[in-house]
Amino acid sequence: MASNVQGARDGKVKQPFKISQEGVVTAIAAILFVVFSVVLDKFLTQGNILALLKNVAILGMLAVGMGFVVVGRGIDLTMVAVMVVGVAFAIWLATQGFTFGQAIAVGALLVACCGLVTGVLIAVAEVPPIFATLAMASVIYGGGRVAFNSDVLYAPDGIGWLTFIGSGTVLGIPVSVIIFFAVATLIALFLRFTRFGRFVYASGDNPDTARTMGLPARPVLILQYVISALIAYAAGILLTGLVSGINTRLYNSTLIYDVLLVVVLGGISLSGGQGGVRNVMVGTVLVGILINGMTIMNFSYTSQNLIKSVILLGALALDAVINPRDEQTSQSGDI
Amino acid sequence: MIFKKMTVAVLTAAMLAGLPAVAKEIEQVGRQTYLESLKDKRVIFIPLSQGMDLNQAWTAVWQRHADRYGFEFQVRDPNMDTAAGIRALQGAIADRPDVLIVQNPDIQTYARALKQAQQAGIKILQINMQSITQTDSYVGNDWIEMGRLEGGELARTCLAPDAPSKKIVWLAGVQTGAANIYMRKGLDEILAENPELELVSDQPADYDSEKARQITETVLQQHPDLCGIMGIWDNAEVGAGAAVLAAGKQDQVTIVTNGAGAHTACDSIDKGLLDVVYNFNAPIQAEIAAQQISEFMQHPDRPAGSEKTVFFGPITRVDASNATGRNCWTIDQLK
Repeated sequence: MASNVQGARDGKVKQPFKISQEGVVTAIAAILFVVFSVVLDKFLTQGNILALLKNVAILGMLAVGMGFVVVGRGIDLTMVAVMVVGVAFAIWLATQGFTFGQAIAVGALLVACCGLVTGVLIAVAEVPPIFATLAMASVIYGGGRVAFNSDVLYAPDGIGWLTFIGSGTVLGIPVSVIIFFAVATLIALFLRFTRFGRFVYASGDNPDTARTMGLPARPVLILQYVISALIAYAAGILLTGLVSGINTRLYNSTLIYDVLLVVVLGGISLSGGQGGVRNVMVGTVLVGILINGMTIMNFSYTSQNLIKSVILLGALALDAVINPRDEQTSQSGDI
Repeated sequence: MIFKKMTVAVLTAAMLAGLPAVAKEIEQVGRQTYLESLKDKRVIFIPLSQGMDLNQAWTAVWQRHADRYGFEFQVRDPNMDTAAGIRALQGAIADRPDVLIVQNPDIQTYARALKQAQQAGIKILQINMQSITQTDSYVGNDWIEMGRLEGGELARTCLAPDAPSKKIVWLAGVQTGAANIYMRKGLDEILAENPELELVSDQPADYDSEKARQITETVLQQHPDLCGIMGIWDNAEVGAGAAVLAAGKQDQVTIVTNGAGAHTACDSIDKGLLDVVYNFNAPIQAEIAAQQISEFMQHPDRPAGSEKTVFFGPITRVDASNATGRNCWTIDQLK
């Protein structure tokens, strides 16, 4: 064991110049971007680049929330459930005599409560996050399923701001893209410059030490899930603006795994304490370029999934070769 | 004298009282037999998911029949989970209902279980989505005709002299579903008949409005002169409509799809998200199926699988001119 550690350390010394997974993914994204720009006719146009970003705005926003939790050595599988049920609840309230603004506010409250319960389960009851959030996702979606009969709920007509965030532009940039970048920037600044943000890193890196050092580990953990739930809710409102309604069946789709994939792909380790919003952005952009290019090339669904998986696996494998696991980097909690 | 008068009065009263007794014997021909053959029979329905508008329409109609004529009607909802669907099917076979109604997720998954059910002597009605195993009855869409109708609509629009181009898009649901396979066959026939039509994109939207929006947005960047889009479910194609609206091309791009005929489709036509919906009128499908169910129950002597009937329901073309009244039902009207 000791010699292993020693060997790993020696390896590190021999390799002063280190390529991170983020770097690998950025390089792949850049190569794909150049190849598509050359090969595909109208790929490199302002319109297409904006469409590309708009198409990953929801995925990216969810991934920012997920990344935030993963940095704190958690995982939040409730995000899609919270997103669809929270917004569906708000739309339902709006049909019961509330104004849409009030309904959105009450929905936010419900969503925050969901995050709070999840957080308490993990922080106080000490249920492992993967099980707690998996179970909570079922509870939240199941509750929603009982309350609303239909999978698809349409937002009320004539809500100006909702249409604006869905299809409006500011200086030629779609509002949905601006909102995505705003949320990402906010979380990035929050993680980097606030005391709470540093606590998230500290407790993600080593929860026991963080607690021993006197950090408020439990409140930090609980608040993380509340924030990720609220980000999911914001993504849901954006989605409603984009397509004028919400399809609660998204819960049954692979969206939550795509979100997780973006986070891991960008280089945020599931063992916590590392990475940040920049990693999420890199992962999101790679997935966006891939999907956009393949849609333009009109690849079949099956081959799209195959190519996407192969490229993602390739990125992870390359990272494993460049940054081999050792006692230092593989921690308990790493999946 | 008084005694005689009283006797007459009593006799008259007795005669008058006797008249309704004669009336009681009036009976609508066959009603009693009908009631007896339906009473206490059991019908189990295994849907894809009860969250869809078509399913809600079917069950509302069947429940009304069950309440009125005293048979038992149960829904066992696997909520889009095919494994749960198989379990529900096996459970239903063990329960031995008089009639089993099945909505298939695809043509293969339930094929063997349906054979088993039939061998166990249960009469099976397949509704709207078929399996490769043909059972006692199929009531639902003529999906090849649906593909021809939608494709034909686009052929008429996009081959007209004033059409923006001859480019069309096919937004599938999931490519393994029976409805998709057959609709694609119909579309292929139209494409063969009209070789000038150009199919520029052929991607599945997975019955999800956001996916439909993303594909449409990307395709519109590549083909700004796009003429038409055809899809398979009105609730998904509103996403395509949102992308077209956001691009300001609602007068250029014709969006054709089909649906159960719920009022939400009419609302989408009013909002300019959809142009034409081929309405397969789920409530009428359900009435036809109810007729078939009652026929099964009235002929217990016919063994399961001895007859194989197919009935294709009505299809109505709905656009802005007739998006009212019976073409736009609400669930409450069906109960």
